Amino acid sequence: MFSNGEDGTADPQEDVADHMLVGRAVDGDVAAFETLVRRHAPLMRAYAARMLGSVSAADDVVQESFLIAWRRLPALNDPSAVRAWLMKIASRQALTRLRRRPADFALPERECAVPRETEPESVAIRNAQLEALSAALEVVSEDQRQCWLLREVAGLSYEQIGEELRISPSTARGKLARARANIYAQMEGWR
Amino acid sequence: MTKNTPTMLDCGKTIEELSAYLAADRTPPDVDIDICPECRSALDGLDQVARLSRDLIAHDASLLPDPPESWITTIITNIAQEVRAGRSLPLYHENPRVTVSITEGAVRALVRSVGDDIDGVVIGRCRIDGDAETLDAPVEVTITASILWGSSAQELSDVLRTRVHAALRQHTDLQVTAVNIVIDDLHGFNSDREVTP
Repeated sequence: MFSNGEDGTADPQEDVADHMLVGRAVDGDVAAFETLVRRHAPLMRAYAARMLGSVSAADDVVQESFLIAWRRLPALNDPSAVRAWLMKIASRQALTRLRRRPADFALPERECAVPRETEPESVAIRNAQLEALSAALEVVSEDQRQCWLLREVAGLSYEQIGEELRISPSTARGKLARARANIYAQMEGWR
Repeated sequence: MTKNTPTMLDCGKTIEELSAYLAADRTPPDVDIDICPECRSALDGLDQVARLSRDLIAHDASLLPDPPESWITTIITNIAQEVRAGRSLPLYHENPRVTVSITEGAVRALVRSVGDDIDGVVIGRCRIDGDAETLDAPVEVTITASILWGSSAQELSDVLRTRVHAALRQHTDLQVTAVNIVIDDLHGFNSDREVTP
């Protein structure tokens, strides 16, 4: 077995390709799966946090996603595409959680996904641009934001988006086009 | 809330139209848009918003504080309960009324630990082909492995094959007719493999 570097030694699997780790995990190697979790959790958490507007909700959703992933891993066709596959699972879990929300449930104040004050000044301009996008994403409607994240971050096709949001692919395409135009308009001044 | 008034370019196209064009992967091609400098610059801007979105999530990810270690422990303890035992592979016992077996999952773990002990080798999958549930039935073992960049595939696969054979002979009663090794990746060089996009 290998360590995860807690004793100061490098994890020999750290730079091992995803598909090798997937193979091991399919064979039952829990430690290999843990390496996959550590490798892909940051992006999944950030993505789910944008989708849900809450880091703690995102953590729940990503945790569930990994449990599902472990069970379904043997059915993954292309083990090298595990990240895209995990993002798809996280998408579905996030949307399911949003759907379970009671109709009269007041949306929580969306927390900014990440505290910004720790950033070094040298990257301030770049960050200002990202911040403008961040703010724009908060302003577009929820369904447009979902469409946008599913397409541009998780990389889903219109068919897949349609399936996840229970709308037709052409409706998904229309929403995406409106989301893009709205975000672009919101970002006036940062282009 | 969102702006609902279409943003019109001087050439008469709206941002909404251009966004729809992008959403349709620019098919069918619209010559009016493709040759208009104003449209093309707006299309670039719209395109850039998509790239920036991926950057934003990667940026979020890099700043997000790590979850507590218990968050990972919860995942690991939960999945560890769902073992992938596979088939039961019989072992000899002097008393024919006693059945002793080892799970396929345990044999795979054995193969992994033998392989991982060899410097420069990381095992991927391990497959046991054949009627392994019947004593004395011939089986073939196929292992995928990643080797350290710059090491000899021939040498490492020979060592791996020999040690796996020996370990299986020692710990199982499988009649292993062949240990096939597939080197399907290299590790340890400065790859462009990224943790985040």
